[in-house]
Amino acid sequence: MPALHALANPTRFLSIARPLTPVLLWAGLLLLAVGAWAGLTLTPPDYLQGESVRILYVHVPSAWLGMGGWTGIALASFSLLVWRHPLAAIAARAVALPGAVFAALCLITGSIWGRPTWGTWWEWDGRLTSMLLLFFLYLAWIGLARADAERGGDGRIPAIFGLAGTALLPVIRYSVVWWRTLHQGPSITVSGSSIDGSILWPLWLTLTGFSLVFGAIVLMRMRAMLAQQRLEARMRRMAA
Amino acid sequence: MNHWPFILAAYGVVAAAMALLIGASWRAMRRAERAVEDLRR
Amino acid sequence: MKAKHQRLTLALAALAAIVGAGVLAVSALGEQAAYFYSPADVAREGVPVGRAIRLGGMVEKGSIRRSDDGVTILFTVEDGPARTPVEFRGVTPDLFKEASGVVAEGRFRADGTFIADNLLAKHDERYMPPQLEGGKHKTETLEP
Repeated sequence: MPALHALANPTRFLSIARPLTPVLLWAGLLLLAVGAWAGLTLTPPDYLQGESVRILYVHVPSAWLGMGGWTGIALASFSLLVWRHPLAAIAARAVALPGAVFAALCLITGSIWGRPTWGTWWEWDGRLTSMLLLFFLYLAWIGLARADAERGGDGRIPAIFGLAGTALLPVIRYSVVWWRTLHQGPSITVSGSSIDGSILWPLWLTLTGFSLVFGAIVLMRMRAMLAQQRLEARMRRMAA
Repeated sequence: MNHWPFILAAYGVVAAAMALLIGASWRAMRRAERAVEDLRR
Repeated sequence: MKAKHQRLTLALAALAAIVGAGVLAVSALGEQAAYFYSPADVAREGVPVGRAIRLGGMVEKGSIRRSDDGVTILFTVEDGPARTPVEFRGVTPDLFKEASGVVAEGRFRADGTFIADNLLAKHDERYMPPQLEGGKHKTETLEP
């Protein structure tokens, strides 16, 4: 992991994160604007669900980042436990909040889509229930990590929780395959997509756009936490 | 059923959440980094 | 370096154990977590008359009929060779169509007809513009 270890030094990390933050943010917002415009005006409606298919362009990226956020927590937790990476605890805490927000957005946009298409806002099927569980895991993790940081913990306890929560990710992904659910099966798999190209293409724009914005938010939150740490260290030295 | 109110609601919720999240992260970062700068001087 | 390797092995083993345990727990849940019964399940296992269940499958082509009172809809839910007659009074969702997925909530009557209180439309994983419909659309079952 030489690349990760080069970032272990907060000063070196900041020298990369500072210029990268606005680049990710503006590139992401630009892609989102183009993707949303294309998804709202250029693409055809679906043969069965009609216009409501357009919600896909915000729902799928939310689901992807809701799950991707937990993957981020798990990777950071792993490198904290194994390599004691000095930025890992901060990275995990920076990812958690946007991850939770995207998990919530996935549930909300899915519910809004469900009403006109399925005829219900919410059903306790395997996919919806497991995604709701992930959202609750985020809330619990954020609370735990905050308590740990306030007590001056080294982040190991939230890291163990972060790794354990990973078990939910394959359950969410395969819930629609293992069980009969109201939610449709996976459209995009390694073998290809069952979404017609004319409907699919803006999804790549919004997916990339949301991911870049997610990255910018994580960098901003990490920078804030690093500055806060510096501030507190300085205060302690001045008080001593 | 007209789907457009649902579509606009979904996009609106996402846009609002993004604006809040970006705005709050940006402000928190600026405040903390400026405080570090002030201390250094 | 030794301690680092030890931690790496430990963390990897723990991760594998946790994910394995999760998968096991979930597969033990098995059919319990199924959201609906299919007509094939009903034919194979039987469902007691009057028990509230969900029945899911494809709406058989040409099976939708409106009864004389004008509000009761009769149709057949099929899943491969198995089929179940369904009766529903009320407003159907927009996506309720022949040859597409449906999940009906309700209970069986003694004569084997499923009396639905509520209908939900089930979309499948294929999305396409209207002009492509037809030839490409041939879902025959809701089995995952």
